[in-house]
Order: sequence, then C-alpha cells, then structure tokens
Amino acid sequence: MNVLTLPAQPGQDTAPRPVPWRRMAWVTWRQQRATLIAVPTVLAAVAVFLVVFGLKAHHDYAALLNCPLDQGQQSNACAKLFSTFNSTDWPLANTVGILVQLAPVLIGAFAGAPLLARALENGTYRFAWTQGLMRERQAIAKLALLGVTLVVLAWAFGELFSWFFQPFLWTEQISRLTEGAFASSGIVFPAFTLVAFAIGAFLGMLLRRVIPALAATLGVYLAVRLGAWALRGQYPVTVVTSNANQFSAFGTPSQPGFAWILSTWYTGPGGKPANQSAVGQLLEQYQSNPHPTVSVGQTLAEHGYTEWNRWIPPSHYWPMQFIEAGWLLVLAVALMAGTVWLVRHRAA
Amino acid sequence: MNVIETSELGKRYGKSWALRDCTLTVPAGHLAALVGPNGAGKSTLMNMTAGLTAATAGIATVLGGHPAGSPAALNGVAFVAQDAPVYRNLSAGDMLHLTRNLNQRFDTPFARARLADLGIPLNKKAGKLSGGQQSQLALTLALARRPRLLILDEPLAALDPLARQDFLAAVMTAMADDGVSVLLSSHQVAELERVADFLIVLSRARLQMAGEVDDLLAGHRLLTGPTAEADEYADRLTVVQTRRGDAQTHLLVRTSETAGPVPPGWESHQVSLEEVVMAYLRSPGVGEPAPLTRVQRPQPTEATR
Amino acid sequence: MTIDKGDSAIEFRLDPDSGVPTYLQLVQQVEHALRLGYLQPGDQLPKVRDVVTSLTINPNTVLKAYRELEHKGLAAGRPGQGTFIQATLEQVTLPELAGLRRTLLGWLTSAEQAGLDEDGIVALFTSGLRDFFKNRPASGDAGAADHGTANHGTAAHGTEGVA
Repeated sequence: MNVLTLPAQPGQDTAPRPVPWRRMAWVTWRQQRATLIAVPTVLAAVAVFLVVFGLKAHHDYAALLNCPLDQGQQSNACAKLFSTFNSTDWPLANTVGILVQLAPVLIGAFAGAPLLARALENGTYRFAWTQGLMRERQAIAKLALLGVTLVVLAWAFGELFSWFFQPFLWTEQISRLTEGAFASSGIVFPAFTLVAFAIGAFLGMLLRRVIPALAATLGVYLAVRLGAWALRGQYPVTVVTSNANQFSAFGTPSQPGFAWILSTWYTGPGGKPANQSAVGQLLEQYQSNPHPTVSVGQTLAEHGYTEWNRWIPPSHYWPMQFIEAGWLLVLAVALMAGTVWLVRHRAA
Repeated sequence: MNVIETSELGKRYGKSWALRDCTLTVPAGHLAALVGPNGAGKSTLMNMTAGLTAATAGIATVLGGHPAGSPAALNGVAFVAQDAPVYRNLSAGDMLHLTRNLNQRFDTPFARARLADLGIPLNKKAGKLSGGQQSQLALTLALARRPRLLILDEPLAALDPLARQDFLAAVMTAMADDGVSVLLSSHQVAELERVADFLIVLSRARLQMAGEVDDLLAGHRLLTGPTAEADEYADRLTVVQTRRGDAQTHLLVRTSETAGPVPPGWESHQVSLEEVVMAYLRSPGVGEPAPLTRVQRPQPTEATR
Repeated sequence: MTIDKGDSAIEFRLDPDSGVPTYLQLVQQVEHALRLGYLQPGDQLPKVRDVVTSLTINPNTVLKAYRELEHKGLAAGRPGQGTFIQATLEQVTLPELAGLRRTLLGWLTSAEQAGLDEDGIVALFTSGLRDFFKNRPASGDAGAADHGTANHGTAAHGTEGVA
C-alpha cells in the first residue's frame, strides 16, 4: 500500500471540460491592464484636442462660406479669416494629419509586441503554459479580445479624425484619396491598426524580446504602408478617359475632394503615341500665356493630340476602402494564425 | 498507474543534446527525487514532462499514458518552474483568480486558507514578497489545482533552512492528504533522503540510475577489505566505485543473486543514499546495462540476506 | 514554543545521523513506548498526516512503519479511523531494568580495564548484538526475519561502524 490508496478528494476524476473562453477575458484584462488603460487614455487625450480644434476649424469654415473667393472683393474681416484658415488652421491640421499616420503603428506595436513576448522574456510563460487551458487557446483569446478592442477604438478615433478633417476636404486642400487621408479614415484606419497589432504580436513571438519586437514592428509596418500605397493604384476601380469625354478632375459637393490621377499620356492623330517632347513644348507655350482664350483641351485638339488619363474619381472612395481593408484583414488574420502556430510549435 | 513514462526521450538544442536516450518509469504515489549536477538535463526532463518543451526524440507520457502537454496531461500536472515564476505586478489574490480562470479545477477555499496560514497577504504585489513566500505562493497555486502529479524544479535552492522545511512539509502533507505524486529536483541529495522514495540520477545528459530508494539501498553494499585482494574480487562483483588506499580498499558494489557471499575477511556495510548517488555521478556509464535502471515494481530478488 | 498535536499518546522524533532507516526508527519508538507503558492497547498511533507534517518525511515511510507493526501483530489499522495498538510487548519492570543496568556497567568497567576505548566498546557490542539476534529464529523483534518486502535491514539496530 502506498499513498495512492489513501482516499482522494471528491470530484477529482470528472472528465475534463474545456475551460470557458470568457474566463480568458478576465485573464487578458488583468494581464494587459496597462495597455488596455493606456491606449484609450492616450486616444482620449488626443480626441479632446481634435474636438476642440475641430470645432474651431468647422466654425472658421462656416464663416468663410459667407466670403467671396475673389481676393479683390473681400472685406478686411474676410481677408483675416482666409489668412487664419490658411496659415494657422491648415498647417496645424496638416501636422496633426501626419502625426495621426503614426497612430496605428504606435497602438498596434505597443499592444501587440509585449502580448506574448513579455511573458517569454520574464519567464512567466513557464507558469501560463503549464496551466489547464492550452497555450494556443490562451493566445487566440488574447489576440481576439485585444484585436477587437483595438479595432473598435481605432474606428471611433478614425471617425473623429475624419470629422476633424472635413473642412479641409471641402476646401479641397486635400482629397480623400490622398495617402494620408485615405489611410486615416473609413475602415482602412482600423484595419491598419489591426495589422500593426498582428505584426507586433507575430514578431514578439518570433523574436521573444519586447524591445527588438517593437523596433521590428515599426519597420515592417512601414513596409506594409509603402506596399499599400504602391498597390492602391492597381485596384480594379480605375477609370481611363480621354479629353474627348469631358471629365471633371474635381469632385461634387456630395463627394468632395479631387480625383487621383495615376498617369497621363498623349496620343497623336489616328491614336498613335505622340511625341512627348512636342506635346511638352506645346503645353509650356500654353502655360506661359497668362490669359488663355481657349482651354488646354482645345489647344491640344487643334494640333491633333488627345490627352488620356488613368484616374480614380472620388466617388470610388468606398470601393477602394473595402478592397484595401479586405486584404489588410486577410494579412492580419494570417499573421495572427502564424502567431498561434509559433505558440504551438516553437518549443520553450 | 505509472505517473511518468519516457521512452528514449531526448532533447537537442542546436548541435548539443541536453538529454539523450532517457527511458524510465515512475510509478504513482511516490516522491521521485531527480538529482544530478548542473547541466545534467534535470530541467530539460522536467520541462518535457510538464509539456513545456517538445521532445526532439522519443516520447514522454504522464498519468498513465497521456502524452506530455496534451489537455489531459495539462489538467492533471502542476509545474513549479525554477525560481517559482509569478507575475510580479499581480497580487496574490489576483494570482489566485488568474489560476482559477486558467484551470478547470481549483480549490479556492484551500488556497485562501493556506495563504492565510502562511501569513501571505492577498493584496500585496507578488514581486514584493520574500523568496520563501513566492515559493510558497507558487506551491499553493499548484496544490490548489488538485493535481495528480506535482513537478517541482529546484524549489529549495533559494530558501533558508526554515523555509525549506516548511515547503517540504507542505509537499509531504499534500502527498498524505491527496495521494499526489511528486517529481522534485535538487542539487543536494542529503536533504532528499527523508522525503524521497524514488530516485532518478542524471549526469551529462544521460540517465544513470532510476529506481525505488529501498531497492537502491538494498541493492548496494560497501565492501571494505585488503587492497591486495581487491582486484580479484572486483572482477567478480559489479563495482560502481572503488576507493583504494595502500592497505585498505572500499568497493561500492551492486548486489545480485549471482554475486555470492561477502568474501572472507571483508566487511559489508550499508550505504547511504548520498553515497550511492555520488558514486554513480562520479562513474557515469556504470548504471546503464543493469536491471536497476528499469525498475518497474519492487523486485524481492534484488535484496541480499 | 509548544506544538500540541493532541490526539495521540506519543510523538515521534527522528535521529537523522543514526544510520537506522527512518521507518525502523518509528517502529522502534512504538515498541519502546509499549515497553515503557506510554502506549496501551487501544491507543491510537499518530495520524500519518500529522507525522508527515511534523517530521517532514515521506508518507510511504510512515505507512511502511505502520505496516510493519501490523505484521508484527502490535497494531491494526481501522479503515477511516487510523492505526491502533492491539497488543503489548513484554514489559520489563523497573527493578529488572535496574538490575540489567548494573550488570552492564560492570561489563563496561571490565571492557575499559581490558583496554577498549568508547568506540572499541561500541564496535564489540554491536557485532555481538548482531550475531546474537542473527542466530535466533524469526520473532517479534526486527532482525533477519523475512518480511516479504523488498528491503531487508541487515543492520537493524544501530550502525555498523567502520572498524
């Protein structure tokens, strides 16, 4: 007889049930508490700034609507408004716009990189991975819970940012299709945040150290942004027209912002490619004339040239958003799947 | 039931093997002491048994055949790694809650009562507790899971003598109360002599010896006699270690049925656990071919009269 | 500091340097207590759990000791309750003990006069003791009796000193 024959505690031999996933919610909250408090706090602080400044910008714009465009006819007050709008509001908004580009990667990297790497770095994985809930499930739960939270926060923040930028869309100083605005609005902004998070988590698991993972996340994210920018022009939403079909490069009141012209080329009589330098000379001549009597198109037509443009109208904004958010989502999910695979197979 | 069973278990990191060709069977209801010098492969063996590390070669199963690291294994095995890792920024109360959420079975009243007995406050951050308290916290969390197998990697190394005794007393009590089996590693053999009834000796990434302590001690003798006759008898007996003086030699031998009686003029003494372990550690390779390394059940035939 | 375990008549202690296996020390302490009258039939032996907690020894060791006592007929386990004494050993009365002690002191004086020092006396006595019990048939005392377990204590009492 040995210790085995001593009476065991009741209830020990019940068949194992899978541990409920919602328990992981508490675990994730407690382990990631710092992140889950810091991110919304920082976003809230920035949001306050955006609201305050955005209200001012909206107000200034509304006031400007009552002023004539022609500088000669402006009153002093109007002139001052224009000056404020152009030299204070716009530069500040522009700066904010640039900084907002960093938001997805900062949120994603600081939430994603330590998610798994910190436990690996400080040895607590030896505790977490030997508990009853399998390590893959823990990882999936963390990725899902934090991912969804970040997407919701980023989407809300992106909407606020879009509101903030509206006056400048209306004045057509930027377009919704330009890189900065496109990536910071709609559903692409939360998608980039999710991708940054997924990159952070994956690299954290791969490199097993928080600081190197953070640095690498910034680099990889930058590559993804550049790739997205290069890829964007290839989306199947482009339009090709010639100046024979009159088009407006500018938007309509319901679809503000100007078009994104991807490329321009010229053909000569009979549709053959034109001599670029000859066309160039013609255009230069036209532009050196301060008071043209005919339009550019007419001038070209007189010489037998046709201008062709490959471009994206502002009305194609949402299709583009869906395409871009779509492949970003696939990328994020693939990275997260890769992270879980590493958790499962990469031995401690 | 065999609480741990390995078959040619091995782990390689890069080019070097941390553990190799390890085949052993540990029956349930024992405290198995895992001893060996640094780098012998103790932590590697424990990590693989706990499901933390995947094997490069061979297999490890626990609790009657469940693969190490499988859900059934994770459920029934509690592991306390070296230095008793706890989340430094979480309080003991948080750690209780965390462990409860990560396991299907958790005895919260037991854990709370135990921490209260030990005087470990529930609201202090774990990182601010003393080393002994952290170890006791980790042990409490492990025991509260009501495991069938408890794996402790060098739990006593950083503890003062009082803390060491408290820790071991807690483990022994859990064995008596719940019938839990224990695998415990340590540098020091002497302090394990009172608590271990199964012994696993590793050295240089290989298994040197595995078996019940009673069998081990019964199966070895220290023979002392004249050096002049030592070589003659050494050939006939399975000698684990020789200590030779000019006139007198000590032979630590493994006894068996075929060995015959003690040679005339020689003395036979019992050996202590520490002596046997040290002998095997100093003479690697002696342990391998013998039946004692693969003890499944106590073998009455091993004993001498 | 008093540690009061309450339930049992005796408390075990261990001598880690004696060379005697732990379980045997427990058996001997029970037999010793029986001889001196500290334990009576019907008394409960300390619970395994309590022994384990206070001495920090393996529970299987205690179980082995109690099993040994059962084998000798000195104790019996009651399922769910514990282990209880069920017999006595021949008690040596105090006058008998006093007489034996006087004889022993006389022998010791002779041994010292013959030139043996303390270690010499111990060695002589131990080997004599061993021979004495080895040649006896199996009896209640722990000796060379076959217990049917894997462990045979050839050094049942005391150390075999290195001569």
